[in-house]
Amino acid sequence: MSAEHEQPIRERLAHWVEHLTHVLPAQAPIRDFVHHNTLHGFQHLPFTEALAAAQALTGATTYWPESRFRDCLASGRISVDDLSAALLDHGVADLDRPLLRAFSRRDILLASLMVGVEVPEASRQGWLQRETPLGDDLIFAHFFRLTAEAAVASRGPEENAENSASAWQQQALTRWEALRARVGKTWTWRSLLEHLSDEDVLERVRSILQRHLAAHLDLGVAAWRNPAQGQGFFAAWRASAGLDLAWEMDELPNVRDEILHLPPSPIDVLLEELPRLLPDEGQWYGYLERLSLEIPGWSGMFLWRDRNPGRGDGTPVAMLDYLTVRVLLERLLTDDLLRRLTGGPMSVNDLGDYYATHPAEFLVRDALRLPGLPEDLQSRAAHLVDLSRNGHVDADAWRHLAAAIAPLTTSSRASGTAWQLAALSRQLGLTLADVETLSADELAVLGDCANTLLPLQRSQIWLLAYERHCREQLFSALTANHSRQRTPATPSAQVVMCMDDREEGTRRHLEEIAPAVATYGAAGFFGVPIYWQGLDDPGKTALCPVVVQPTQLVREWGAVGTELIQGRHAARRERRLQWRERFYQATRRRSVAGPVLTALGGLPALTALAAVTLAPGWFGETARRWREKYDGRVATRLGLTADRASPATPDEPQLGLTDGEQVACVDAFLRMIGLTSNFAPLVLMFGHGSGSQNNPHLSAYDCGACSGKHGGPNARVFAAMANRPEVRAGLAAGGLIIPDSCWFIAAEHNTCDDGVAWYDLEAVPESFQPALDTLLGQIGEACRAHAVERCRRLASAPVRPLPWKARQHMLGRANDISQARPELGHATNAAAFIGRRDISRGLFLDRRVFLISYDPAGDDDGRIVEGILLAAGPVGAGIALEYYFSTVDNERFGCGSKITHNITGLFGVMEGADSDLRTGLPWQMVEIHEPMRLLVVVEQTPEVLTAILKRQPPLQELINNEWIVLAAKSPSTAAIELFCTRRGWLPWSGKAVLPQVGRSVDWFAGESEALAPALLLGDERAD
Amino acid sequence: MSLLLPLADLVWLVPVLPLAAVVINGARVLLGRATGDAAEPLTARLASLAAFGGLAQLLAIDGLALLHGAPGHRRLAHWFGNGNWEATFSFMLDPLSLTLGTLTALIGWLVMRFSANYLHREAGFHRFFIALSFFLAGIQLVLLAGNGLLAFVGWEMCGVSSFLLIGYAWHRPVATGNALFAFVTNRGGDAGFLLALGLAATWLGSFEWTALSKASQISVVNDRLLVIGFVVAALAKSAQLPFTAWITKALEGPTPSSAIFYGAVMVHAGVYLLLRLEPLLVQVPDVMIGLVVAGALTAIYAWLCGLVQTDVKSALIFATVFQVSLMFVSIGLGYTTLALVHLCLHAGWRVWQFLLAPSWLVITRERPPPPPAWLRSNQLLYTVALQRFWLDKLSHTLLVEPTQSFARDVRALEEHFIDHAIGQPGQGKPIHADRPLILADGLPGHLLASLSDVLQHIEYRLQLRGKGGTAEKLMHRAGAYLRTLENLLEQPRYLMMAVMATFVVIL
Repeated sequence: MSAEHEQPIRERLAHWVEHLTHVLPAQAPIRDFVHHNTLHGFQHLPFTEALAAAQALTGATTYWPESRFRDCLASGRISVDDLSAALLDHGVADLDRPLLRAFSRRDILLASLMVGVEVPEASRQGWLQRETPLGDDLIFAHFFRLTAEAAVASRGPEENAENSASAWQQQALTRWEALRARVGKTWTWRSLLEHLSDEDVLERVRSILQRHLAAHLDLGVAAWRNPAQGQGFFAAWRASAGLDLAWEMDELPNVRDEILHLPPSPIDVLLEELPRLLPDEGQWYGYLERLSLEIPGWSGMFLWRDRNPGRGDGTPVAMLDYLTVRVLLERLLTDDLLRRLTGGPMSVNDLGDYYATHPAEFLVRDALRLPGLPEDLQSRAAHLVDLSRNGHVDADAWRHLAAAIAPLTTSSRASGTAWQLAALSRQLGLTLADVETLSADELAVLGDCANTLLPLQRSQIWLLAYERHCREQLFSALTANHSRQRTPATPSAQVVMCMDDREEGTRRHLEEIAPAVATYGAAGFFGVPIYWQGLDDPGKTALCPVVVQPTQLVREWGAVGTELIQGRHAARRERRLQWRERFYQATRRRSVAGPVLTALGGLPALTALAAVTLAPGWFGETARRWREKYDGRVATRLGLTADRASPATPDEPQLGLTDGEQVACVDAFLRMIGLTSNFAPLVLMFGHGSGSQNNPHLSAYDCGACSGKHGGPNARVFAAMANRPEVRAGLAAGGLIIPDSCWFIAAEHNTCDDGVAWYDLEAVPESFQPALDTLLGQIGEACRAHAVERCRRLASAPVRPLPWKARQHMLGRANDISQARPELGHATNAAAFIGRRDISRGLFLDRRVFLISYDPAGDDDGRIVEGILLAAGPVGAGIALEYYFSTVDNERFGCGSKITHNITGLFGVMEGADSDLRTGLPWQMVEIHEPMRLLVVVEQTPEVLTAILKRQPPLQELINNEWIVLAAKSPSTAAIELFCTRRGWLPWSGKAVLPQVGRSVDWFAGESEALAPALLLGDERAD
Repeated sequence: MSLLLPLADLVWLVPVLPLAAVVINGARVLLGRATGDAAEPLTARLASLAAFGGLAQLLAIDGLALLHGAPGHRRLAHWFGNGNWEATFSFMLDPLSLTLGTLTALIGWLVMRFSANYLHREAGFHRFFIALSFFLAGIQLVLLAGNGLLAFVGWEMCGVSSFLLIGYAWHRPVATGNALFAFVTNRGGDAGFLLALGLAATWLGSFEWTALSKASQISVVNDRLLVIGFVVAALAKSAQLPFTAWITKALEGPTPSSAIFYGAVMVHAGVYLLLRLEPLLVQVPDVMIGLVVAGALTAIYAWLCGLVQTDVKSALIFATVFQVSLMFVSIGLGYTTLALVHLCLHAGWRVWQFLLAPSWLVITRERPPPPPAWLRSNQLLYTVALQRFWLDKLSHTLLVEPTQSFARDVRALEEHFIDHAIGQPGQGKPIHADRPLILADGLPGHLLASLSDVLQHIEYRLQLRGKGGTAEKLMHRAGAYLRTLENLLEQPRYLMMAVMATFVVIL
């Protein structure tokens, strides 16, 4: 290949690899699990188009199945009004024009949605007619007669020519062309061959490839790596595959020679192999894309490592290496399958010629997966195909069967019409008398109208209705709550928590228990994007949203004067961890130390297993206490302040923050959440994290705003900054005055066991002690009440528990190694409110709403809310959409059930020991989720929001493309307007009637399903 | 002492309790009672109660045995037999069985408790507990049985439940393929076990362990053959070379089942069998040398393969096989006590490590140290280790494929011969061209057709000849009966019954 020709193709290849990032899963190694939109690569498209494109490309379903929605309709989760409104929202025209007598298009479409489009197979219909009351159904009988007559009338002339051989040949040829055209677009050759031979080459390709891939990408399981690993995946694979005897055992004797004689450069190999599969260069990208998507998990992880070379272990990872091997294996194994299919060496491109001379065989093979083929023919076809794999099949046998099948493949399937028309008529309330008067034209109108909606459109309408139902409830809750301004005038404490939907519950309970406490919500890194290195941490961790790269490092040091204890602590901790490492690693790979350590560990392990199985909470606490006792406790301080600014990069961050930076952080954050005056004696910064056992998806439960880590350190850093006199002076200079009567404290909430870890309490001045004691008690009580609420959704939790009992349960749950659902994470998240707490305080929101504090009063130009939307929008959308997609298709977008998961290479999980790498959320996390797009309600005027939207492309992508739904709640009145891309801002006018209860517990006690909002009267009732 | 023997004679409860749980839970599933969240606790509680019952009883026996000495071999009932040999329901309650039985009961009970949470809301929840209880019954039968035949029953129960749990995710082709692979490979060991039992019946007239250990009555040659049968069984069950491949493919099931089967309990069943047969084994030193060789080779194999594994469960399974192979070496060298102690401690540690496999991200800090330099850079050995010495492919070619083609042949036989002979409903063809209404297919069909032909002929003649007589009336009645019979026989199930009846008579 000449140099000038080579250049562009190399560039194109690089471009293609770049493009693959849009279609492959972009999940990072599982330790750093951060929620993101599963279809991020399609985000430039409108939601519906993106889902359609993804469905066409990956074959995944992107909506819940209609039957699921219909169940919701039956259970009241969707009302007919919702469905009717959804038709309008979807933009169906002429809804109210009468089409068929008194029925409008709306009526017919509603009926069609309610009865569904699924029509039983002809044989099942026959059975239903014979064996069930359907046989006596006169309406169905009527339509059945009509359509049967029509079918007989329309057939006739076709039948004569069918049995001649030339007709088959023609039929086979057209069919072949249709199948062939799919290769490179929606199929690879292996899909085509699987369709024809019922044998999947991919199983073998994956088995062959998977061990090499895992060995190459491994981040720390294997002790022994491929000696040629440093030269890249292609070289490493080639070095191993050239010595591999498996080829001979698989009866692929020439393959090893071929591998040994491959050119050393992967690109050369790729350019040699691609034309063999597809002569047309224009289809190459499509083909590579399809190939990658056949093993999406491994392809995605390989690509991620290719794109993020710094996050690996130094092994060179190039996506082209992977594609080369993949293409090569595809060609080698399809060649082998073809040889077995046709009895001689053949390339895929000659397959068409072969089948042109064997039309009967092709027809039978093709018919194998034909829907609606009678069962006996299907089993005969399957039998022949199976037989041909192990021996020779007589040409007559193919011909004989093809003669039986050929007429069936062309006959139209009219039998569904009667079923559908009967169902529609029943749904519309037509009687037999009405039906009999319908003319053929009218029937055609009915059928056509019902069929105007494509399957994806129907799903979209159902989703709109499903979302609307929840939205209406939230809007009426907000409206009903509008005049009930409840924030205490002089709060006893102010608590700033993460915006996380789970914390909605904690905040609500805290406010119920301590009405004098005011709460705030914000992204859980509290405006402090830092690298953090705790006392015991070996390296730094970024604690901020994943898109931000911090440039400052805050370290935790031992307190002054404790150097001796510190040294002992570090030494003992190191010794303990080394022994642990020795036990877990040596018992699996050391030949002499292994058995010895196993013998030593046997009895303790059995004792520990018994203890953790019988009393997980007690065991967890005891183990923690013992660890602490052994290591020794060290009082710590923060290495917070940098004397002067230095040029810092994410790789070499500046140690600490300067006074100016600290002032800027605190100032910006407090203004953002609207806490600029009226400071209470205590302000609690309350981060969160989650602690659970035996859970590879651990970081998916942590704080999303801290890149899937714990947010406690950020809270602690913020509080420490805000307490420094220098910072307060700086703030005062900027007009933000924090009085001396105010002290900031910090804590971390464990969302799994509902425990609280407090920071630096010993530094709190004596004068705040009484207030602190009160707050500590209140927070503890709130967390226990929150645990009670969480119990209602967990099957193994006690029903209507006492608070301490609920907390005990949560503690046990968090420490239980057998618990696949330590907590439910963000499941059921539905909306985000950006505004003052006044708009939502006193509402029961079922832990479904992200609450972000923002005061519209001082933000007329919308600069602050713009920042909030830019930061919280993608985080919220990422969480909601990842949950959405993992719920609607847990097989493709999620990672299936946790129970067979097997950690691979410390970067992901497989099912068992030989499968694709599974990405997305496990089924246990999403089983109770209601898949909806996030509804974002902002307390701001539509004008301001429109202006923001105009100047911010990232928000345009999210909102105009309808990945999230935006609504504006007026800052001064109860009015709410919903943003629609097509129709602009739509004022909401619904009823604002809500159930009223005294406290949360009165509303949720005994309930285990998702609950509608309610007004909490609290102390009002006492008035 | 007064308590010990009655308690020991109730030891059959230990395997029977889990079996009862299997029966009850199975019935609940079959009757459609086991659906939804509400049915889960009952299933799980029954299973773990049965496991705990066994544990409690064994602990009680242990306690009394410590005070009064182990009860030893207990013959409870006659099973079946003839003049030359006898099979009994007998149990062995010596220190070896009691130790392992108790340990297994404890691990079994803990894993049951573990699974109740772990498998919550799984589609296969009840199925899992049924299979696990079945396994527990089987393994206790192996460990506590007083004779080889009863142990073999348990041995097979373990094999079946292992098959069911590897194929737990039956919708995944890999899982079902591997389940089949493990099942078929293990049959090699069963053949050895059966051979040994047959020889024992012939030469010793008994399957009792006590009788087997007195095998000095028979010649060394016979003794060797007997032992080899058991050793093959032990090698297969404990996944030693050349059978190792099956266990590396057996990790498709839920984590707790991987832990109890391949980490802790079942993988040690072969070691137990050899420990049990120790008196027999010491008489044939050459077999013991064979054990050392097999163990040592397996150890090298497992150690090398273990170094390159990239997923946690595979890494752990090779580590397990490695240490089990060391137990084989110890037995071969005569250190049986060492092997027993190693077995118990290894089971305890490994069940813990397997159950904590999902925690690997948290409990390990760094990559394990690489192997020595000479090994590290050897590309060939690396490939061999990565491909696991091609053992799985070899086993597939040598064991699974022949089985599959045998099955295909049987199917072909059925299709081409038996199906035609029996005939199928609805496929009948007219026998006489002039009587198109009479259709028949298959041998019984044709027979019936000609029978009815004859009968009709007789009826016709009688009717013509004896018009108006008693004969006609009788004939009419008989004709009616026969018609009814014929109608019935034309229905496929009666046709099958008739065929079966014929076979029964012939046999």
